[in-house]
Amino acid sequence: MQRNLFHVTPSGWAGLAFAAFAFLVIPAVAGQLWLSVFTSASCFALAAAGVAFMYARLGMVSLTQVGLMGVGGWVMLRLNHAFHLPFEINLVISGLVTMMCGWVLALPALRLRGLYLALVTLMAAGGLEIIFATFQFPNGGDGFWGVKTGSAAPFARPWLAQTPEAYLRYTVLVVILGFLLIEAHRRLAPGRAWALIRRSEAAAMAAGVNIVLYKTWAFGISGLLGGVAGGLLAGSLGLLDDATFRASESVMLFALAVVGGARYWLGVVIAATLFRVLPALLNNWGVDADISYVIFGAGLLHAVITAPNGIAGQIHDLFGKRRKAEAGEKGAGDD
Amino acid sequence: MIEIGNVTVRFGGVVALSGVSASFAQPVSGIIGPNGAGKTTLMNVISGFVTAESGEIRKDGQNLLGLSPYRRAHWGLRRSFQKEEIANDLSVFDNVLVQIDHARQPASKRHAEVERMLEYVGMADRAGRLGRDLNKFERRLTDIAKCMVGNPKLIMFDEPGGGLSIEETQRLGDLILGIHDQTGAQTLVIDHDVELISRICSDTLVLDFGRRIAFGEVHAVLADPKVKAAYLGTEEVVE
Repeated sequence: MQRNLFHVTPSGWAGLAFAAFAFLVIPAVAGQLWLSVFTSASCFALAAAGVAFMYARLGMVSLTQVGLMGVGGWVMLRLNHAFHLPFEINLVISGLVTMMCGWVLALPALRLRGLYLALVTLMAAGGLEIIFATFQFPNGGDGFWGVKTGSAAPFARPWLAQTPEAYLRYTVLVVILGFLLIEAHRRLAPGRAWALIRRSEAAAMAAGVNIVLYKTWAFGISGLLGGVAGGLLAGSLGLLDDATFRASESVMLFALAVVGGARYWLGVVIAATLFRVLPALLNNWGVDADISYVIFGAGLLHAVITAPNGIAGQIHDLFGKRRKAEAGEKGAGDD
Repeated sequence: MIEIGNVTVRFGGVVALSGVSASFAQPVSGIIGPNGAGKTTLMNVISGFVTAESGEIRKDGQNLLGLSPYRRAHWGLRRSFQKEEIANDLSVFDNVLVQIDHARQPASKRHAEVERMLEYVGMADRAGRLGRDLNKFERRLTDIAKCMVGNPKLIMFDEPGGGLSIEETQRLGDLILGIHDQTGAQTLVIDHDVELISRICSDTLVLDFGRRIAFGEVHAVLADPKVKAAYLGTEEVVE
């Protein structure tokens, strides 16, 4: 009757199969350049999962996600250069810091909705962009900001993932955990509360849902995923550049989550692939990577006009129709 | 016993409710009145969505106006809306379960209660169906089950019969009549369907332009000339 927490749907099986492929095959066959590209794409997939779930489950638009990745990355680098704690502890702290940033962002969300909320989160992203451009990212220097001229101090990767191949596997594993965290929430009380909030806040309150708690919770989880993604990106490169975390990148990531399909894991993977793999592919072919913006625009138009649930939604519907047709044929055969 | 004491609500210069008082003691009571009479506003005051300028609302000694809307739901207040607010991406079961997610009970007990109420409204066989796949009556039935879980003390239905067929309205009335036996809760029903109100309600409050124009035993109230005038208007003879 009610869906079991551990019930695996057909889409879930496909996701697990893809995760196994990403964990086992991609690191084994990719070259050095592509290992870096896929690791970066995995980090952005985790961040995109945060905005996608906020949009799909609560109908809230957050345009700060890449900025929060920057905060996570900043904390990760700062901790790495200041202390000699294990990578995992730094990663958890980075996630917790951005989770708290998410709670702060949730304050306007309690009063604002739709376009106004999106604008407030965009302004927060703009503020972070200025901070990153002004103070840069820690690279082993002295003082609070930890910035020095010259080459950056070494970054300590996880003990388990010293090579680029192992680090990609490590990143994929964390991304899978992030996706499972969202799915577990969706199947438990928070998911039910979010679905009702999305339907109508009045109905949610009438059902005893604490709107303040659950909206703040959602922003916190999205922030956590963004921060962990930023921490993993810092671990991949060993240093970060402020140009990666511009406000426009947050808008782009959200738009691509809509193009991919915010309701589905595949949509998030498509978003991250378009965001990171496509420009690298164009570069590899000797084509200007800015062409990808034209492709993104066409994808967005496609989503707005014909695919409200994104490309993943269309694929999902296609399989759904096929399953129904097969069931119909079987039923007719039984007759 | 629900006691509504001298409730006044203003929206700017408009007086939506003007010193409305009533004491409902029967298991099922009604609130009727023409469009714009203030029925839904009164329900919104009881739910906490609209703040009353003055007055009080008590049920079994508890002043509800001091609680936030979601705390009123935790206390035992339930309400449905004119449009059934069923989440499309949740199953029927989950749409009902969300009402008692906050309850400090083992999951098995909460699930058993949801199953019992879905059985009562006749939706047990469709418990796994998604909200988006339900027709209007099934959505209304799910809404009723949702209002009945979690030991409710007061259930309010806002035009539950809107858009339903005669047979469906009949079934709806039977279900509402059974709520008190099933849960012990008192029920308030707002509807334009006077036939439904007269069948299921023992007493009723009549509002017009935010004022109480009648209150008492339902058939006596419906026979009141003031109530007839509010619904049908008065004859004006021009010579």
